[in-house]
Amino acid sequence: MNYQWNWGIFLSPAASGDSTYLGWMLSGLQTTVLLSLSAWAIALALGSLMGVLRTVPNKWLSGIASAYVEIFRNIPLLVQLFIWYFVLPELLPASLGDAFKQKLDPVTQQFVSAMVCLGFFTSARVCEQVRSGINSLPRGQKNAGLALGFTLPQTYRHVLLPMAFRLVVPPLTSEFLNIFKNSAVCSTIGLLELAAQGRQLVDYTAQPYESFIAVTLLYVLINVVVMTLMRHLENKTRVPGYLGGK
Amino acid sequence: MYDFDWSSIPGALPFLWDGMKISLEITVSAVIFGVVWGTLLAMMRLAPVKPLAWFAAGYVNVFRSIPLVMVLLWFFLIVPQLLRSFFNLDPNTDVRLTSAMIGFALFESAYYSEIIRAGIQSVPKGQVAAASALGMTYAQAMRLVVLPQAFRNMVPLLLTQAIVLFQDTSLVYMSALADFFGAAYKVGDRDGRLVELLLFAGAVYFFICFAASQLVRRYQKKLNAHVAH
Amino acid sequence: MISIDNVSKHYGNFQVLTDCTTQVKKGEVIVVCGPSGSGKSTLIKCVNGLEPFQSGNIIVDGISVGDPKTNLSKLRSRVGMVFQHFELFPHMSITDNLSIAQEKVLGRNRDEARGKGLKLLERVGLKAHADKFPGQLSGGQQQRVAIARALCMDPICMLFDEPTSALDPEMINEVLDVMVELAQEGMTMMCVTHEMGFARKVANRVIFMDKGQIVEDDSKDAFFGAPRSERARQFLAKILQH
Repeated sequence: MNYQWNWGIFLSPAASGDSTYLGWMLSGLQTTVLLSLSAWAIALALGSLMGVLRTVPNKWLSGIASAYVEIFRNIPLLVQLFIWYFVLPELLPASLGDAFKQKLDPVTQQFVSAMVCLGFFTSARVCEQVRSGINSLPRGQKNAGLALGFTLPQTYRHVLLPMAFRLVVPPLTSEFLNIFKNSAVCSTIGLLELAAQGRQLVDYTAQPYESFIAVTLLYVLINVVVMTLMRHLENKTRVPGYLGGK
Repeated sequence: MYDFDWSSIPGALPFLWDGMKISLEITVSAVIFGVVWGTLLAMMRLAPVKPLAWFAAGYVNVFRSIPLVMVLLWFFLIVPQLLRSFFNLDPNTDVRLTSAMIGFALFESAYYSEIIRAGIQSVPKGQVAAASALGMTYAQAMRLVVLPQAFRNMVPLLLTQAIVLFQDTSLVYMSALADFFGAAYKVGDRDGRLVELLLFAGAVYFFICFAASQLVRRYQKKLNAHVAH
Repeated sequence: MISIDNVSKHYGNFQVLTDCTTQVKKGEVIVVCGPSGSGKSTLIKCVNGLEPFQSGNIIVDGISVGDPKTNLSKLRSRVGMVFQHFELFPHMSITDNLSIAQEKVLGRNRDEARGKGLKLLERVGLKAHADKFPGQLSGGQQQRVAIARALCMDPICMLFDEPTSALDPEMINEVLDVMVELAQEGMTMMCVTHEMGFARKVANRVIFMDKGQIVEDDSKDAFFGAPRSERARQFLAKILQH
């Protein structure tokens, strides 16, 4: 192989003139992190709500939540992304649709579609985790709350959810990591996140190996950082004396 | 309200079916390879030989911490050149499908190996002890006693992972390889009916995956009915 | 205080309770016993509406439990319940376990609630553990805290669902002592339990249930002296051998 390794390529000025190639990569990293964090906020909020709904006695509510999960779990992420980006603006009432297409600049359009798509996609998975957390609590806990005079919403708020969330921190960690990985799919609609910048680097420099190795390492780094942070969280929320919480 | 026009679809069905065949080809080959290589990885990880265990652990951890998109980009942009120079092929040969299959297989085996490793570890240690006491070697114990039991527990999870894989094949869109989704997009783009084709693709994926996961659920119930609790 | 009138409950095709009728007057201590599956836990859970029932009436202090218009939460805040598995809230300290319902349900302010909680904690002999978490206490200690938690709500009566069945033998007495004290102070109590020693000491009446029906409902002396039904006799014979 006659490949010339050149790790210094990252420090050379980029073709666009305003940054180094390293700068491109870091900008991609920034987009990935911003996208993932905002999508996670949506996923947590929606997913927790749906997870609670799946456990309530009302059959209609739990059925709707079930259907919600099935829809987002059985369609590929890429297809969902394209539907949010290409289809939804067409189906919105004319004023909103036009506002999206014309008033927002393309990058914001991409970011918003990507964020909403990732948020909804992940919320279905968060829903299942929260549901299994609530269901794994002893049945007596709900009865104990009700017996003290709590209404059902109060029982969820003070008794069930605090414990359920502590129980599901480990699986939620892996969903959080999945968002970072899934964010790469959003490069297909043109969003310049990390994977897309990796492709740009391959196109513009003659050093595909260095580019891809660097980008791959950054993903591994994200993984390591998130896992460390979540381990701290797990330690902090450990319930003294509870199973596994020594 | 948007003016729906589904007329593009019937005429494009043969093309879409060709794409679906590619999606299924990739899925099946990746599942088979993934289970085989995943099993080997799982056994390596559990083996007492340290270098093997480290290699397997490293492989699995790296592939599970990077996006599938990156792996596919490696296999679409970099590996074809390697393959061509290695095998001295004509630069125009279409190695996209092969690259895609290899990429998926290598990636998914990391996930399969975790499922299989958990399955192996769920078999009580007494089983291995009993097998050794009967004179079986480690390999025999694995093959005749541990793996059969482990697989029975794992099959629903392996099948679920296969459904996930089937959905992931849509990512070959990035290389312009025409799987089912790529085909749907091309038709929609060509006819200016992207909205309808995307919704159609979503619906098709939904029905296939939903039906498949219901079958797996039913199978899981049947399995649990037999197990003595 | 509690009036159970012809209560029947079925769960699908399975008849759990059939025509159960009994009364508990203010200050009375009733022990409910019987073999497993006899429906005694279900009956007691019907009293505070944790289990719904299909026919019959249950009136607690003038309020009909089965009436859809009844505010069940409000009723439950006045009826204390102690569970077989203690059911303290593991993510809260003991103090918080005692005060949370006082604050959120009864609307007491934080200091009042905590003060009351500590007072009752002292009464059950566990003041030193106020800042610990349930997971750090033994079973007997947890159950005593559970009793204190129910008492914090100033209940008009207390329901006990096999309070000592999940305890190691050496911890049973510390819980029974608290319950005996409570009974001697005049609390209206309905207890599902196998502890016949407790029954003999403080019960006014004993109810024996079998297969979802109330088979016997006697004064304590009558029940232990000469049970009328064959099933009750057999049950007593097996249980009292120990």
